[in-house]
Amino acid sequence: MNKKLFVLFAVMVVMMLATPVFAQGEPAAAAAGTNWVAIASGFSMAIAAGLAALGQGKIAASACEGMARNPAARAGIQVAMILGLAFVESLVLFTLVVVFAKVVK
Amino acid sequence: MHQLPFTALLNHLFAVPVNALLAALGLHAAHPQAPIPDHVAMEFLVFLVLVVFFVAVRASLSVDKPSTVQHVMESVYNMMDAQSEEIIGHHNKKFLAYIINLGLFILCCNLLGLIPFFETPTGNPVVPLGCAVVTWIYYQANGFRANGIGYLKHFAGPVWWLAPLMFVIEICSHLARMLSLTVRLYANMFAGDMVTLVMFSLLPVVWPVAFLGLHAFVALIQTFVFVLLTMVYLGEATAHEH
Repeated sequence: MNKKLFVLFAVMVVMMLATPVFAQGEPAAAAAGTNWVAIASGFSMAIAAGLAALGQGKIAASACEGMARNPAARAGIQVAMILGLAFVESLVLFTLVVVFAKVVK
Repeated sequence: MHQLPFTALLNHLFAVPVNALLAALGLHAAHPQAPIPDHVAMEFLVFLVLVVFFVAVRASLSVDKPSTVQHVMESVYNMMDAQSEEIIGHHNKKFLAYIINLGLFILCCNLLGLIPFFETPTGNPVVPLGCAVVTWIYYQANGFRANGIGYLKHFAGPVWWLAPLMFVIEICSHLARMLSLTVRLYANMFAGDMVTLVMFSLLPVVWPVAFLGLHAFVALIQTFVFVLLTMVYLGEATAHEH
């Protein structure tokens, strides 16, 4: 009972720590008139994320199929899949960086 | 001016010599009482931690009774050796020192942000840029060392009459490698922090921890990707038929 309580409290302590709060906040962008930057960044992130999801889905699907056909090659296929997912993800993050560059100016 | 506790300690100890060094180079810090920025202090901390780890491994090396740190280092070495032999070929041992060092540095930098009162140095665009520039110079230098001046033939493409066009394209592509290495690492770390903060603004209690977990996972993956790309570029640059 004591051990379980200890584990529960330890988990709660960990859950209460969200460390990036100690970082600084973002400056807000004010605009008079239509905020085209906000509209454009919303659309561009959505398009980037949508197309990336399609690509990553294809990667994961072929990885699953490869592992099903040849379970012995599982390790190599997993490595290739993770690598492929990371590359597609980084393209979306390039878009995010451009959005941030435009929003913060 | 907001500083992390470790940065404040470093600035308190080293502000005067650092300011003197900057003045000798003709530069001025924005806040003279705190010339060391957060990301430099965090990088320095990672450097200290890694040096202590390496000294501990070296001091306790033994064939009969290997210690825990020796096991860790051996497994890291074996993993990098196997991976680089697959990608680079049989001459991979020359590059292992740099590759392992780079991988451990980036991994520790990425994971440092998860600890309270520390921040991710790779979340500042300057740090991944430094890693990428050093890696780029390293693989170009090794390309020249392995192939001599014939390394320039790598840029010429398959046929001689396309060479002028291919030169321009290849040089742009090589420069773009520096950019992509930098932005990939920076954007992943920065986005991890940002998304945790956004989730924190939605529900401060339990929910953001899932994104800290995501940040930890992404930290591992991005280190692996950076090191793998370094190996690929090295393999390409030092490729020669036996």
